Amino acid sequence: MQLSVRIGTAAFAAALLGAWATGAGAAPFSDEPMAGSMFRWFTDSEKIGVRSFLGDCSLALFGSAVAVHWNRENVTIPAIEAPIGSPEAIDAITTASRPISGNAYQEFVKVRNEVTGVATRGPATVEYYVSSENDYLAQMIGGRLQRAVSDDQLTLTLGSSWGWDVIEPVADDDTDTGADTRTTLHLDAVATRVLTPTTIVRLGLEYNMVNGLQHNPYRNVYAGGTYVPERHPDSRQRRDAFVKLNQYLSQRSSLKLHYRFYNDSWGIDSHELAPTLSQYVTDGASMRFQYRWYSQTAADFHRDEYFTTNGVDGYRSGDYRMAALSSHLFGVAFDLDFDALAVPVQALRPLGLWFSVERYFNSNDYSANIVESGLTYRF
Amino acid sequence: MRTLVRRLRGVLVAGALLLLAGGCAHVQSYQRGRLVDRIMSFEAESKKDARLTKSFEAREGSTGGNGGAGGGCACN
Repeated sequence: MQLSVRIGTAAFAAALLGAWATGAGAAPFSDEPMAGSMFRWFTDSEKIGVRSFLGDCSLALFGSAVAVHWNRENVTIPAIEAPIGSPEAIDAITTASRPISGNAYQEFVKVRNEVTGVATRGPATVEYYVSSENDYLAQMIGGRLQRAVSDDQLTLTLGSSWGWDVIEPVADDDTDTGADTRTTLHLDAVATRVLTPTTIVRLGLEYNMVNGLQHNPYRNVYAGGTYVPERHPDSRQRRDAFVKLNQYLSQRSSLKLHYRFYNDSWGIDSHELAPTLSQYVTDGASMRFQYRWYSQTAADFHRDEYFTTNGVDGYRSGDYRMAALSSHLFGVAFDLDFDALAVPVQALRPLGLWFSVERYFNSNDYSANIVESGLTYRF
Repeated sequence: MRTLVRRLRGVLVAGALLLLAGGCAHVQSYQRGRLVDRIMSFEAESKKDARLTKSFEAREGSTGGNGGAGGGCACN
């Protein structure tokens, strides 16, 4: 299986290179040149805060469409609040998912920087991604091939990427995980079809093969009456199928329906259903209302309690993402396009502004708020 | 639950075959104006969807659903 996947990926890479070489002059720009920036603020019921400053720029360069995206994130994890030396504090320190080296009662802050570069030429797109933080370096190269058939009524896309991560855990008082790696091979096939003048549908299949360290290097699990390091399997096959249906409605509104089924080799099955209603308030001003329902089963090796240090077949997890859970998300967004609004100041017309708020909560008594605001400028 | 999953998979596959088999009316280019409207576009929210997916991955056990970003709207 893995051999055939690799042969398929190599054939895809060769086709991508061929399309890139012959794509000069063919539809060099699919998106209009623009620059944008945005701020994202995430807070949750565990008092974790993430502030993200993002930027985007796309332009035409050497006959290709080139886009660059960057993101700088500050993650703040609160200090442990339980009294020093109390059983609650010891539990919190031992099962923490962040490194603790004599700093349990101080706020923990880390910074992550991320850059993505994308180039499109004719039917081919290539992409590189790098993300860096003090104990984690992630890189990925990817490509996509696109073909429109049936008088552009059907668009087919094949995509693939290869990601390699280097994990170098920093000092932690109660774990001693050495440096490790993780690789991810991704494949996807997507079809987009016009059904009627007001209906369009997209179907997709995705596959990921992940190998390497896949548990938290800083977390211990209570098993067999003592604390032992968390351990997940080194290999995971992840696959999903999704359908997106967009329907234009009367009164300048639209309804988008999204459904995804996911399954993996660790035993997790999940369903996701997300309808979104968009409505123009006036020319150039629109609102969006979103709901998302999600449900998953537990991983085969997940238990609420482990009776031996061996866990289940040598695996044990303190990660609630491995447990059965369900979640809901409600969101609302507001978009302004100054050109369509025909603002009287000509210099403002290339501008776009947007703002969104999302509220997420799941069956683990966890909740989060996400606030985003952004500005775009079209050249 | 397993039966439900199998049925849903079946619905997904049957729907896909029906939609891709070409059993729909041909829509001329000049009839696709509403499909390129921002509120109908897959791409307009693709970056936001990707950011949300990343947030979900930190809280849930699954991934995916954004494949084909840049996959076109079939409405050129």
